[in-house]
Amino acid sequence: MQYQSSLNRAGLIELAIDKYFANVDRKYLDGVLDCFHDNAMLTVQTAFTIHEGKENIKRMFVDFMNSYEFIIHRDFTCTVDAANGRIAASFVAELTDEKGAKTFLSNTNFWRIRNDRFQEVYVYMSGANPLT
Amino acid sequence: MSKFPYEYYIDIVTKRYFHGVDHFDTDMVMDCFHENAVLREMTSDTTHNGYDEIRGMFTDLFGAHSRIWHGNFVHTVDTQEQAICSQFSVEVTSKETGELLRYENCNRFYLEDGQYKQVFVYMSGENLLK
Repeated sequence: MQYQSSLNRAGLIELAIDKYFANVDRKYLDGVLDCFHDNAMLTVQTAFTIHEGKENIKRMFVDFMNSYEFIIHRDFTCTVDAANGRIAASFVAELTDEKGAKTFLSNTNFWRIRNDRFQEVYVYMSGANPLT
Repeated sequence: MSKFPYEYYIDIVTKRYFHGVDHFDTDMVMDCFHENAVLREMTSDTTHNGYDEIRGMFTDLFGAHSRIWHGNFVHTVDTQEQAICSQFSVEVTSKETGELLRYENCNRFYLEDGQYKQVFVYMSGENLLK
C-alpha cells in the first residue's frame, strides 16, 4: 500500500530512531504506542508473526518489555525514502534478561508512514523472534 | 550524494539483478557487483566475500533449482546514501524433489559507483544462499 506521509527525511529518522526505538529502550510504552496508527500492523516477517491494531501491538510490547531487564537498540544505519514515506534501518538489538544473559540480534526494520505515524512495520531478524 | 537517480536503484535491483537471477543468467547477476563486494545472509550468518565466492554461490543456487521467481517488491530508496532496501516474495522449485518453496525476504543493497559493494539478505525460511 502506498501512503501519503507528512514527514521529511529528518522527521522520518526522528520518528523511527529518536522516538520509537528510544522509547522502547526506556520501556516507555505510551511513547512507543504514540508512533502507531490505531489500525497499524506490525509483522515479524522472518517468523510470520503479525500483530494487528494498537491493542495487539501494545500486548506484544508489554510482554517484550517484561521479558528483559535491559533493552538496547544501537548501531543504526538508516535508508530513507522520504518521497514515499518509507524508512528502513539495520541495527543491533542487545537484550538482557533478569539473570544477566544477553541476546544479540542484527535486525532490519521497514516502516511505512501514513501522515506522521507508522501504518505498517516489518521486522526481519537474524535470530529467534522475541516479539511474540 | 549519488550521481545516480532514484530509478537507477530500482532498475539495478529488479531489471538487472533479480531478472538475472530468475533467468539463471550468472553474467547479468555478477555485473551488478563490485569485485570485492560482500554478500551476507543474516538469518544464517553466512558470508560470501568477493566476486568469485559470490559467483560460486549463484552457480550452486542455479544448479539446485528448476525455477526461481522474485516479485511483489516494495523498495526504500536513499540516493543520498547510495542504498536501496527491498522487500519481496521468492518462489523456488527444487530440481531434485520438485518441491515449491515460498519466502518473504528482504535485501539491503549498498552501492558504490553504481554497483553493489555490500548486500545483506534476510530470509523467512531456510537459507538457500549457501
